Amino acid sequence: MIRIEPGPWKAILAHAVETYPNECCGAMLGVTDGERKTVREALRLENAFAGAQAARYELRPEDLLAADLAARKRSLDLIGIYHSHPDCDAYFSKTDLENSCPWYSFVVLSVQKGEFHHANSWLPNVEQTEAAREELQY
Amino acid sequence: MPKILIPTPLRQYTAKENSVTVPGGTVGEALDALTNLYPDLRKQIFSDEGKLRSFVNVYLNDEDIRYLSKAATPAAEADTISLVPSIAGGATVAAPPETPTLSNEEILRYSRHLIIPEVGMEGQQKLKAAKVLLVGTGGLGAPLGLYLAAAGVGRIGLVDFDVVDFTNLQRQVIHSTKDVGRKKLDSAAEKMLGINPHISIARHEVALTSENALEILKDYDIVVDGTDNFPTRYLVNDACVLLGKPNVYGSIFRFEGQATVFAYQGGPCYRCLYPEPPPPGLVPSCAEGGVLGILPGTIGLIQATETVKLILGIGEPLVGRLLLYDALGMRFRELKLRKNPECPVCGAHPTVARLIDYHQFCGVPRQDAAPAQEAKLNDGEIDVTELKQKLDRGDQFVLIDVREPHEYKIASIPGAKLIPLGEFPKHVDEFDKNADIVIHCKSGMRSAKACGILRQAGFAHVRNVVGGILAWSDKVDPSVPKY
Repeated sequence: MIRIEPGPWKAILAHAVETYPNECCGAMLGVTDGERKTVREALRLENAFAGAQAARYELRPEDLLAADLAARKRSLDLIGIYHSHPDCDAYFSKTDLENSCPWYSFVVLSVQKGEFHHANSWLPNVEQTEAAREELQY
Repeated sequence: MPKILIPTPLRQYTAKENSVTVPGGTVGEALDALTNLYPDLRKQIFSDEGKLRSFVNVYLNDEDIRYLSKAATPAAEADTISLVPSIAGGATVAAPPETPTLSNEEILRYSRHLIIPEVGMEGQQKLKAAKVLLVGTGGLGAPLGLYLAAAGVGRIGLVDFDVVDFTNLQRQVIHSTKDVGRKKLDSAAEKMLGINPHISIARHEVALTSENALEILKDYDIVVDGTDNFPTRYLVNDACVLLGKPNVYGSIFRFEGQATVFAYQGGPCYRCLYPEPPPPGLVPSCAEGGVLGILPGTIGLIQATETVKLILGIGEPLVGRLLLYDALGMRFRELKLRKNPECPVCGAHPTVARLIDYHQFCGVPRQDAAPAQEAKLNDGEIDVTELKQKLDRGDQFVLIDVREPHEYKIASIPGAKLIPLGEFPKHVDEFDKNADIVIHCKSGMRSAKACGILRQAGFAHVRNVVGGILAWSDKVDPSVPKY
């Protein structure tokens, strides 16, 4: 289960809507208590995909490293990654799966016609062959 | 002795340590030392072949070791090694396609739509751009396929693996007598393209399963459920909820039907209405209980209407309302449907996060299991040919038929005593517990239940006729009509 607190949730929604019709991406910092994850802060990261970003995103490992260090400084942990799917459902696509990592929760936001539509959180397996849906609260 | 920073999710493998100092003069040696210390961590970082997993980048301080000397990069006392995943992705399907344009031929064809202000050119273009999946091309799928094709829904997917048989023709009006024995997909697609060559049809010749459902459904905007069995109904529902797609639902039985739109913009889903399937065998299918041939026409067209409304974005969708239709009383009623906050798939705390085994969930065997006739007989079962031999020999035994009187009138096995299953428990005392008893019905389902009732009551020699009177007609006496 992953719960996103109202502050970071608003920030993530604003990021997704502002970036529409392109995909946005970012990191989620928070705490983990057993199976319960709580997102306390959202960190915008640059979509580094070289090419049309309407249906692709890419994170720079350096940015992710910086996000991890930022989290440690604030006594938080890097627990998830978010990105948006403009005019598309919040499923975990083949591209998402093949470029994922099993360590984090992947929150996908569907933004339809510029407005937030729905969101899902996914947990990919280590072989990157499938992703299980994780309960998401916001 | 470099320090390795451990990402949060991996700390479960490092006794909660967020950094670990290990011996080693190079990055490669340090990582080996780390995974020797915490063997469970190894699978997360290295593949079975011992290579770094494709998503793992290793950084020495703020440099990627790929651009240094890779695993041989020297790591000193004050150095920090970080494991950083590479992450990318995307919806893959490009942004929505250009609005399709209509040719002059299409404009003429859709003229009666185009002059309705609520539809107009924009609406007809939406129909052309729409992608709708019909699960099943039977009773409900027939009117759905014909009318959605005529209306100009641009891409229609059909899921069916069945072939047309004679018992379909009383209601599945998309198939003709000449199509008997043909794949339903081919027969349906031919009729639909005959009505409207401007649409495209995707044929999915499979049984929808937990393994293929998401892959098939994901390419469509709307899913229309025209199935007649509980495992597929739950499967379609759960897949629609997981993918965030509306599920236009209809079901039929004898003279009554139901329709609603599930999983639309946070509305209730099928599991909010029925969290659990009924016990197997309690609710008869159309094949077991019959259906008025016209009924699927009415319900299928309600589904088609809702589908077109969703595409056009007009009117009030049938969401949160279960429409009940009674053909005999010729009445429509409406029940309010609420989203169940405890719903296991769409509620606040879903417990179903992926597609499950729906046959197991519904307690019914898979349809694609080997046909019963070929299977070995189990204890407590008898084959129709053995039954025939028993009758011919004049054995002392009791043959009971647990079908309904109107079925008995259509066809019966000589010498069988008719006791409909519903009345069966009342008659148990009439038989000798040591008697040789054989029970049959139409296909073997109801008689299996009757056998169970007798065995429970202590009867010692009870056998179920495998395949029922249908098998009798096939293997013993073809003059007995099949129904």
